[in-house]
Amino acid sequence: MLLLAIGAALSYDNPADTSIWVLVVPMLLLAVNLIAAIISNPRINRRGGLLVFHLGLLGIVLLAAIGRLSHMEGRVEIVTGSEFTRESLSDVRSGPLHNGALDQVRFVQGPFTVEYRARMMRGLTHSYVAIPDSEGGWRELVVGDDRPLLLEGYRFYTTFNKGFAPILSWIADDGRPVETGAVHMPSYPLFDFKQSNSWTPQGGEEIKFWLQLETGLTDKEAWVLDGRNATGTLVVNVAGERTELLPGQSVEMPGGTLRYEQLSTWMGYKLFYDPTLQWMFLTAFMTVVGLGVHFWRKLTTEPLGLDDKQQAKRRKIAQDSTAVSRAKTVQES
Amino acid sequence: MTELPWLYAGLLAYALATVVAMVGIGRLSSAVAATAPSLAAAGISESQRNNERLVLALMTAGVVLLVVTLADRWVRIGHGPFVNLFELLISQLFSLGLVYTIAYWRIPVLRTTAVVVLPLMWVLGVWVLALEPSDSVFPPTYHNPWLWAHVGFGKFFLAFSLIGTGLAGVILLRGRPFFRRLFSHLPNDVILDKLAWRFMLLALVFDSLMLIAGAVWAQDAWGRYWAWDALETSSFLNWLLLGAAIHARTTYKVPIRLGAILIISVFVFAFVTYFGTPFYSEAAHKGVI
Repeated sequence: MLLLAIGAALSYDNPADTSIWVLVVPMLLLAVNLIAAIISNPRINRRGGLLVFHLGLLGIVLLAAIGRLSHMEGRVEIVTGSEFTRESLSDVRSGPLHNGALDQVRFVQGPFTVEYRARMMRGLTHSYVAIPDSEGGWRELVVGDDRPLLLEGYRFYTTFNKGFAPILSWIADDGRPVETGAVHMPSYPLFDFKQSNSWTPQGGEEIKFWLQLETGLTDKEAWVLDGRNATGTLVVNVAGERTELLPGQSVEMPGGTLRYEQLSTWMGYKLFYDPTLQWMFLTAFMTVVGLGVHFWRKLTTEPLGLDDKQQAKRRKIAQDSTAVSRAKTVQES
Repeated sequence: MTELPWLYAGLLAYALATVVAMVGIGRLSSAVAATAPSLAAAGISESQRNNERLVLALMTAGVVLLVVTLADRWVRIGHGPFVNLFELLISQLFSLGLVYTIAYWRIPVLRTTAVVVLPLMWVLGVWVLALEPSDSVFPPTYHNPWLWAHVGFGKFFLAFSLIGTGLAGVILLRGRPFFRRLFSHLPNDVILDKLAWRFMLLALVFDSLMLIAGAVWAQDAWGRYWAWDALETSSFLNWLLLGAAIHARTTYKVPIRLGAILIISVFVFAFVTYFGTPFYSEAAHKGVI
């Protein structure tokens, strides 16, 4: 327990830069100690409540280990109207035994709204997603904040990270197929002041552009971010000249034509997968139930107000009376 | 800030309860010195009972006034006391007061601990008076029923630790001749020690429940059930300390006075965990709002 406390203290608010072994080694030792205590200590293994409590602790340690070995975490940004793909994940971290069915996860991002109070205090997020239903169609769900999208055991949580994405097409002069894509602008409204990015189409040069947005943003009163009510003007630098594009407009550039198709949005999700979650909750709950049962039995068999000698006397009287009544029962039978 | 007059009135009720409890124990000690050991014959029993009734009434009034404070603030800003230190302290003053008042009412042997417990609560009372009574904004991740469970279990954990600490304080104070006389009417240390550890075992149950409910809430709110943030780590260390203290008490039969020190250590650690973390970060769980 002391080693675990030291490991926890070392991880204090800085788990990313702390070796996992400062927790793993004490946990292993604790597990061994718990097993030995459960097997050898009659004060544990002969008392139901305490036995459940210690078995529960052991279960939590084992489940935490299994969870870390099989977990997966990551981040993904999905443009409105497009489908989730595994390839779009970033910052992926997974345990060596991760074996989930991420390839079977399918959903399409719909529009989203984010409520803001005065002084830009973020409120509730409502993100609309469509998932396949059993009849070959799509079913719409609303997720956001503490309501994750749960598919195949993978949980997708909305984050504060979301923004706009102009859909652009590049029509190359050399006859290549038209290339269309969404460019994710920086998070909005966090980076309202620097909505800039660049894109390098195949066979073309890097294009730098800025997005001038009209979203109704105000910090004086409540406001709702809704991409459907927003408009955006794309500002492109072509040969040193500023060119403004509205959706549907194009501009000739060296090597091809850039077409601003429409303004869209993207939502950032946090991905989490841990197959032990429900088991962990159940085990932890049973652990406390065991402790509660032990406490209750202690309270009912050893009432307060009596010291140890008085309680020992009381227990002896209770045992004697039980023995007498048993003897009587035997005689009668 | 329409809730402030109610807050001041509630704190005043707690302060009066503290003074009355101390005066009562002082009188009792004088009477015991004069007539010991038979208190009943001293004719002070009724007086002492009246004193205890007054303490109970004042504490009840304090709790009710703090309920009004919290309700008024809740209606005014639109959410419960879960976010900034000002409202967290008022909430703790309410819950600690409520649990202790019920215990004071139902378990007579605890009544003398008021002279230890109420001054401890006054640390929070003075602190809340020193804070700017600012409003807070309810984060989107707080719209979750598990938050209620997490905070509720935590309040019971701290309240039971406080009661255990009150008993431990009486045991330690009885080491001094003045306090030995003051607390001479109480049961012996063995019984007080047993009672104190009962409350600490109960505290362990609620501490465990608090950690579980907090993990479920964290999973819903931030997509992870445990991340070793400042408050999570402190809470876990506190749970380990409490578990180790109970183990030490049952396995190694630690002396009563050392056990009392262990109980107070657990409470101090819990106090720092609850109220020290806001010094470290503006929100209870740093960076997750």
